[in-house]
Amino acid sequence: MSVIANNAAVKNAQAFEPLIVAFCCNWCSYAGADLAGTSRLNYPANIKIIRVPCSCRVNANFVLRAFQRGADGVIIAGCHPGDCHYMTGNYYTRRRFSLLKNLLAYVGIEEARFKVDWISASEGNKFADVMNGVLEKVHKLGPNRKLRDSRWRR
Amino acid sequence: MEKIKEEIRQIAREALTGKKVDIILAWEKGPLWYDSYPAFFTKEEEVDSLTWDSFCINNLSKYLLEETMADKKVGVFVKGCDALAFNQMMQDNRIRRDNVVVYGLPCPGMIDPDKVRAKRLNRGLTEVKQSGDELIFVTKDGEITVPAHEVYYDKCLYCHYPNPVVYDQLIGEKVAAETALDRSERFSQVEALEALSAEERFAYWDSQFSKCMRCFACRNVCPACSCERCTFDDDDLDILGKAREDSEDQFFHLIRAYHVVGRCIDCGECSRVCPQDIPLEKLNRKLIKDINALYGEYQAGLDPSTKAPLVTYQLEDADSFTAGEKGGKGT
Repeated sequence: MSVIANNAAVKNAQAFEPLIVAFCCNWCSYAGADLAGTSRLNYPANIKIIRVPCSCRVNANFVLRAFQRGADGVIIAGCHPGDCHYMTGNYYTRRRFSLLKNLLAYVGIEEARFKVDWISASEGNKFADVMNGVLEKVHKLGPNRKLRDSRWRR
Repeated sequence: MEKIKEEIRQIAREALTGKKVDIILAWEKGPLWYDSYPAFFTKEEEVDSLTWDSFCINNLSKYLLEETMADKKVGVFVKGCDALAFNQMMQDNRIRRDNVVVYGLPCPGMIDPDKVRAKRLNRGLTEVKQSGDELIFVTKDGEITVPAHEVYYDKCLYCHYPNPVVYDQLIGEKVAAETALDRSERFSQVEALEALSAEERFAYWDSQFSKCMRCFACRNVCPACSCERCTFDDDDLDILGKAREDSEDQFFHLIRAYHVVGRCIDCGECSRVCPQDIPLEKLNRKLIKDINALYGEYQAGLDPSTKAPLVTYQLEDADSFTAGEKGGKGT
C-alpha cells in the first residue's frame, strides 16, 4: 500500500489520534527512522520514538508501562538477527518478546497493538511501512483501554 | 509414611548429634489436622515433633536462600517438586551446594484440605493413613477409605517428578512416576482460554487480576522469585504503586509471570497460596507451553548446569512476530 494514501486515510478517519511508542535500537532502527526522514518518506507524527542502545535493552516493564500510561500501541524495532551491533543482543530480544507477545495476546491485548520487527539502517521504506501499518491497525481498533491506568489523562 | 517418618527423625537426630549439620529443615505438625508447616530443628530433643505426612505440601527449598542460611550447614528434606525448586535455585546461584545436605523423599502426592472439606471427611479427623492407592481417613466415627487421587492436589495429579531429581541420600522407596492425568493435559486449560476472543480473554483476566490484594504470597513462595531485592518492594524505583488500581494489579501479575519465564518449575505453589484463588498456573503454563513450542521442550529445575531458555539463544530461533520468517542473516 502506498504510504501517502495510507496517511491520508488516517487523517480523514476521525478525531482519534493514536499514541504509539516505538522503541528503536540506536544502531539500526533509529538510523532507519533517520533515513526515512532524510528520504522525505511520510510516517505519522503519532509515533513517539524512544531510542535505546539495543532492542534487548527494552524490558517487559517498558512495554506494559507504555500501555499503562497512554500508549495505544507499542513497537520494538531492532537490527535484523545477525546484525546486532553488540553481536547477540537481538537474539535475546527475539526470544523475550516472542513470549511477551504471546502472553499479551493471551491476557486479551489485541495482537496489532504490540509489534516487534527488524528494521535495518538502510530500510527507511520499511520503517515508514511498519509505522504506518501499526498506526492503521491501531486506528481501526480505537483507543486502548486495557492495562490503562484509570488515573492517567492524556 | 509412618515408617518413613521414624526414619526421617532418626536421620535428623543423627545429623544433629554428629554435628553433620547445624540446622535441620523439615515439617512440624500444627494444631489443625491439615497443618504441617515448615520448621527448623537445631537440637536433638526437638526432633520428636518432626513430621512427615500427606499434608507436608510446603516447599522447604525456598528457605535455603543464601542470606538466610549464611555460613550454616543445613540438612533439608525435599519432595519431588522441592528438588526441582532446589535445582532451579542452584541454577540461579541462590544456594551454596556445599552447605546443604539434601535428603530426598519420594512423594506419593499431597492432600488438598479443600477437597477433604468438600467430602466432609474432616469431621473428627484424627489421622490419615495411606495404603497403596487409597487413603484411610480415621475419624471419631470410624474409618473411611477414599481413592487417593480424589483428595490429592490437582498439581499432584499431573506430577511427573514425584521422586527427587537431586539428593545426597534417598529415604524410602521410589514411587512410580505414572501420573493420574496425562502430563500434556496440564495445558488444556490454557488452550481453552486461547480459543476465546481477545475481549473474552481480557474480561476473564481482568476479573481474576482485580481480585488481587497484592499480598505477594505468590512471589514469596516461588522458588524462582528469589531476588535479593525485589523491584516490587523498592518504592524508589516507582515500578509499582500502592493504589487499588486494576492496571497496577495487571502490571504486577504480568511482570511476575514474565519474570519467572523459563525458570518456573510448574510446582503450582503460587496459585496454591493465593488467598484470592487467582489461577496463576494458567499464566505460568502458557509461558511454558510457548517455550516448549518455540524453543523446544524444557523443564526448569531438571539440570542446574543447563541454561534457562531466556538467557540463551540459537541462531535459527523461531519467533512469534514475523510471519513465516525465521530471521537470521540473509533473510
